[in-house]
Formats: sequence, structure tokens, C-alpha cells
Amino acid sequence: MTVCTFSFVFGAFFVAMFFFLLPVPLRRWIFTLASALFLWTLVPNLSSWATLAAFLVSGWGVAYFVARKPSKSLLTGYLAVLLAAFVVLKKYAILRYFVAGRILEHPIGIVGLSFMLFRQIHFTVDSMEGQIQPFPSLWVYLNYQLSLFTLLSGPIQRFNDFRAWWEDPRPVHQDRHGLLWAILRVLVGVVLISLVAGFCQKLVHRALPSIGVLRMKDCFWVLVVFYAFPAYVFFNFLGYCEIVVGAASLFGLKLPENFNRPFFARNMIDYWGRWHITLSEWIRDYVFTPLYTALVRRRPTHAQFFAMVCYFVALFLAGVWHGATLNFVAFGLLNALGVAAAKLWEIQILNTGGRGALRRYLQSPRIGMLATIATFHFACFTMMFFTPDLALVAIAHLLRR
Amino acid sequence: MIPYREELQGVFREVFGDDAIVLRPEMTSADFDGWDSLQHVTLMIAIETRFNIRFATAEISRLKTEGSTVGTMLELLRAKLADR
Repeated sequence: MTVCTFSFVFGAFFVAMFFFLLPVPLRRWIFTLASALFLWTLVPNLSSWATLAAFLVSGWGVAYFVARKPSKSLLTGYLAVLLAAFVVLKKYAILRYFVAGRILEHPIGIVGLSFMLFRQIHFTVDSMEGQIQPFPSLWVYLNYQLSLFTLLSGPIQRFNDFRAWWEDPRPVHQDRHGLLWAILRVLVGVVLISLVAGFCQKLVHRALPSIGVLRMKDCFWVLVVFYAFPAYVFFNFLGYCEIVVGAASLFGLKLPENFNRPFFARNMIDYWGRWHITLSEWIRDYVFTPLYTALVRRRPTHAQFFAMVCYFVALFLAGVWHGATLNFVAFGLLNALGVAAAKLWEIQILNTGGRGALRRYLQSPRIGMLATIATFHFACFTMMFFTPDLALVAIAHLLRR
Repeated sequence: MIPYREELQGVFREVFGDDAIVLRPEMTSADFDGWDSLQHVTLMIAIETRFNIRFATAEISRLKTEGSTVGTMLELLRAKLADR
């Protein structure tokens, strides 16, 4: 089951009608039951159930130990094992060079594993740093990880925000207007996925009659794909987020927003603050910040160089996290290039004209408009590497030029 | 007088390269030109060094989220220094 289905949307509406008429413990049981039923439709076999259990229970167990007795070596070792397990479970193609092919032919399929990994890393790291107190029971942690609203594709909610709701699940909409707004959000999400994203997808499919085969001769169709594919990805994910954020709010659960008009960003740093915001924030908090901090503390004089290194590492990882094929490496590195270029440009302005020049540059509407148009097109270009098929087309078109 | 505001203001001026910065508790990241993720981490490292404290990952993150102000930062700073 996905979220853009009759059963999910109207199931959520139906349960929401009586959810707050129940006593608090029963609300929690209803939520758990709904999550369990949703999960039941997604896990294909017994080995997947067993792996999922081991994945989650191990995270909670390690967090329990490091919360009581902080140990960087235990946490680092566990995260290394967790990442290795993730790479095998997701069947990353690069593994074929290092391990026997048989290992990658396992029948395990866990939908939403990528997001569980992020939540688990956040939970274990924050537990060790004393930010999750009191330490929760396994039951609460499982409800957090397997919440039907964030199971498939986020948004990546932080544990303390989930727990605040779990302990006191009360309505967030105080009047009928708020409730209708939430229902409208869900319905808009359905329209965005099924009509808008569906239309963009049809345009792409029309331009690529047979996915994976290069038949693009007409420049018009290149442009169609160039704009329609990013629009498809955006509206599809935005629609998904509208559904889950709107539906969760009917149960009193406030999920973080994932988009803030990303195609109006004025550079790639700004873009990553508006596109898939909870992913960007997670990468900033658990990859960029610790890496940059560790490097700069050792050699403060190399701060600018280390910043560039960290941009590339963080966005390379963001790229490969999206998928197991080489085009995602290109996607990550291109985004890193855009982010690094934006930062270098800012440093250049500061060095030549000082803080005043940067202020004038940021406040100029003409520069802002040009920068937004340029960023939009660069972001669309990076999106060509979001699927292996379009990556081939993009490269072939560039070479032909 | 707000405790630690002067010291924090000094760190802000150094990190943002702007001697005209005057901190007020209600100020947010939007009040400073170029306060992006990198600048935020640079600021956090500078505060840690100046006050000899360490922020947890979640604390660094919280100080960058919408709604967080200079006042929030001062409160956290005071709590950290009191715990020391």
C-alpha cells in the first residue's frame, strides 16, 4: 500500500473522526494498530520481518548502552556495521566488486529502510549525547520508527518531537477551519500525485518512447524532459508530503515540512535549504557538522578548504543514499559542485567588497532574479541524473553539442 | 544588562566580519547576511572555543531551526556555563 490510495486516505479520515473521542491509551493503541496494518502490507516475507526486527532492536539496544555509558568506539563500530548491513540490504551494485554475488541475491525487502537508517543514526547519536532523556522504552521507539505517516519516505521527524505527541496526543486543529485545511491538504496531495505529477511523467514517457534507449533527436523533446522530469519528481514528492503531513495533523501529530518553494532558491545552498528540508537538515547535522567540526578543530587555518571537502562528502553521500547506481554519484557530486560554487562566489564578494558588497548583492532584485533562474536550471540539470535512463540522455546530449 | 551578551556579540562580530553587529534577544538568522549552514557551524565552533564548552549535535541543530533566536542561544549558553 502507498499513501496515495483510497484505503490510506479514507482510512485516515475515518479513524481521525473518532480518534480524539477515545481515551489517550486507546489512541496510542489505535495508532500502533494502524501502523502495524500498514507495515503488514509492505513486508514481503519472514526473512524481511526478522531483518527488520534485528535492524531496529539493535539500534535501540546500542542507544540504551551509550546513553548509560557514552562510548564513541561502541557507537562508531555499531554505525559501521549498520551502514554495511544497509548497503547489503539495498543491494548496492558496487558490492559486486568486493563480495560474492550470492550475498546480494537475498530475498529481503524492507520498504522505507533508508529513512529508518536516518532515524536510527539520529536516535543513537542523540542518546549518547544526552539529548534523549528519559530514555524511551522499546515500544515507543518502535512506534516512532514504524509510524505509518513517516514510514515510507519521511519527512524525517526527530524522536523528541514524536515523543511529545506520543505522551500527549491532542488535537492541533482548534476549529473547523483548521480541520478543513488539513483535509484539503491531503486531497491536494492526491491531485498533485495523480494529476500533476502523472501528467509530467506522461510527458517524459512521450519523449522517451522506450525508457533506457536513446531516441532523442528533437531539441524540443530534450527541453520537455529537462523541465518535465524535475517537475514530476517535485510534484510527486510534494504530493506525498502533503498527504502525510495533512493526515498526521488530523491525529494531532505535527510533522516537519519538507519543501519551501525550492525552485525559487537563489543559489544551490539556498536550494538545499528548501528542497527535501528534513533530509538536508539531517545531512547537515549528522554528516557535515561533525566532519567539518572535527577537521577545523585540528587545523583552524584550513577552514575554507575543509568546508569544500565537507560539501562534497555530504552531498556525495546524499547522492548515493538516493540509489545504488552510478548516476546518483553524479547527482550528488553535481549538487556539491553547485553548493561549493555558491560558497566560493560569496567568499569572493566578501573578499573584494566586504560585508556591504554582500548585502547589496543579496538585496538587488535584478541579481536575485537572474540568480534564481540560473539556480533553477542548474537544479533541473542535476535532476537529469536522478534516474539512470535520463543520465544517459543528458550525457549523450552534452557530448553531441 | 543581559549576561554573556557582550561576549557573544564579540564572537558574532568576528565570525560575520561585521563590527556593527549589535545583538538583541529577538534577532534570528534572517537578521544576518549569509547565515547559512556553514556559517552556523563556524559560529558554533567559535562559541565553543570562546566559552570552552561543547554543544551536542541536537543543540547545534536546534539553534538553526526556524523560531530560534539570539535569546535562545543565550539561554542555552547560560545553561551550559551553569552546568560546567
